[in-house]
Amino acid sequence: MAQSISEQEILNALKVVKDPDLNRDIVSLGFVKKIKIDQGKVSFDLELTTPACPVKEELKKGCEEAVRKLPGVSHVAVELKSHVSSRPQFGQTTVLPQVRNVIAVASGKGGVGKSTVTANLALALSDSGAKVGLLDCDIYGPSIPTMFGVRGKKLESTVDQKILPLKACGISLLSIGFLSDDKTAVIWRGPMVHQIIQQFLTRVEWGELDYLLLDLPPGTGDAQLTITQTVALSGAVIITTPQEVSLIDARKALVMFEKVKVPILGIIENMSYFGCAKCGEVAEIFKRGGAQKIGDEYKVPILGEIPIDPHIVVTGDDGLPIVRAEPDSLTAKIYRMIAGAVAARMSVSNLTLSEAASLNVQWQNK
Amino acid sequence: MAEQINEVVEKIFQAGERALGVRWKDGHESSYEIRDLRLKCPCATCVDEWTGEKRINEKQIPADVHPIQIEGVGRYGIRIRWSDSHATGIYTFEWLRSHCPCGRCSRQLKN
Repeated sequence: MAQSISEQEILNALKVVKDPDLNRDIVSLGFVKKIKIDQGKVSFDLELTTPACPVKEELKKGCEEAVRKLPGVSHVAVELKSHVSSRPQFGQTTVLPQVRNVIAVASGKGGVGKSTVTANLALALSDSGAKVGLLDCDIYGPSIPTMFGVRGKKLESTVDQKILPLKACGISLLSIGFLSDDKTAVIWRGPMVHQIIQQFLTRVEWGELDYLLLDLPPGTGDAQLTITQTVALSGAVIITTPQEVSLIDARKALVMFEKVKVPILGIIENMSYFGCAKCGEVAEIFKRGGAQKIGDEYKVPILGEIPIDPHIVVTGDDGLPIVRAEPDSLTAKIYRMIAGAVAARMSVSNLTLSEAASLNVQWQNK
Repeated sequence: MAEQINEVVEKIFQAGERALGVRWKDGHESSYEIRDLRLKCPCATCVDEWTGEKRINEKQIPADVHPIQIEGVGRYGIRIRWSDSHATGIYTFEWLRSHCPCGRCSRQLKN
């Protein structure tokens, strides 16, 4: 009978597999769990920091190859698992304690497609297996109810007067649109906006979430200030279209997050180009590569370029975003790729930051 | 956009009866005399937002002023609720680090 292989030998062999985002080997990262050895048959779990990991299949393959090379191994089975990494405040703070990562999606400029991008990213993350919530912070022009086909739905509350988010397409949703009807305009000054957003952040029963995406209104005003002061955001994603008029405001959003110490996960260029379905010609309607320009300026990664696709508009208006309505389309694939990039950047940021989980001090006076 | 580790807080704590302590990620520790911190409150009521002129009357701040509670503001600062009912000031980590009163930091600031 062949000599049985040891757990240590397997771990040593797996050290050659590196996570390209975290830039470390999977063994020292603690990803390898539950190693089982049954003579020549080896099985273990590969526990990643996000189910949306863009390189999970490569990592799995790398593991299988590394272990299979060991003498005496006849069969390798790797099971992909995930345990979403969280901000240091997870479980420690009073604001959104059950949310591992709170990610703001912002633009500076209005009309660049923030809500569309946020909705599709949320669904792409959810499709990967993560628990996702989406908070529509646009008080004056909420779009999320339309995009998820839940216009006119009303919210319920718990016995202790907390708001229960709506469930649609497998994710938890909250929007001011669920509290007012479509034809009523919310005409409020700053302090009211501040109050409602604070309620959305502190009085909602979100349950445990891996990612809560905040769809921010355009600008750097009341809503943004309230959010960045009330919750310890894990990161921010900036959306821009390629032309200079949009880039100017995107820079302002970047500077705002930098000032309040929120890590910028990256920039997404929306409406990057239009690929004609008939002739295949690519038209760069708003120019292209603008996001790269500010990415270089501020040393922030570009998470992806989303094309102009009439189906994005149709599916959004019909209440089922394209990632769910046409999952095999190129646009849906691009969205899944970007969601993976966002999740990967989030994991890297969580790994490198080691800040205080709580800053609260009760003063003792003699 | 690199994170500045000298502005990342590892811990906020009460350092004795009259001092607030901050331990930074780079290992440095700062200790702030609390009345001095109250007098330097950066809020719009205490400092004119346009001119930067100090509006606070030092004589009106009680000698034994002290924090009641300290809480985090997002991930960039703290808010102190004071015994004289003042509570609008946000002390950003950037501000706190640049106002570290220790000998080494204040010498660096002068140079």
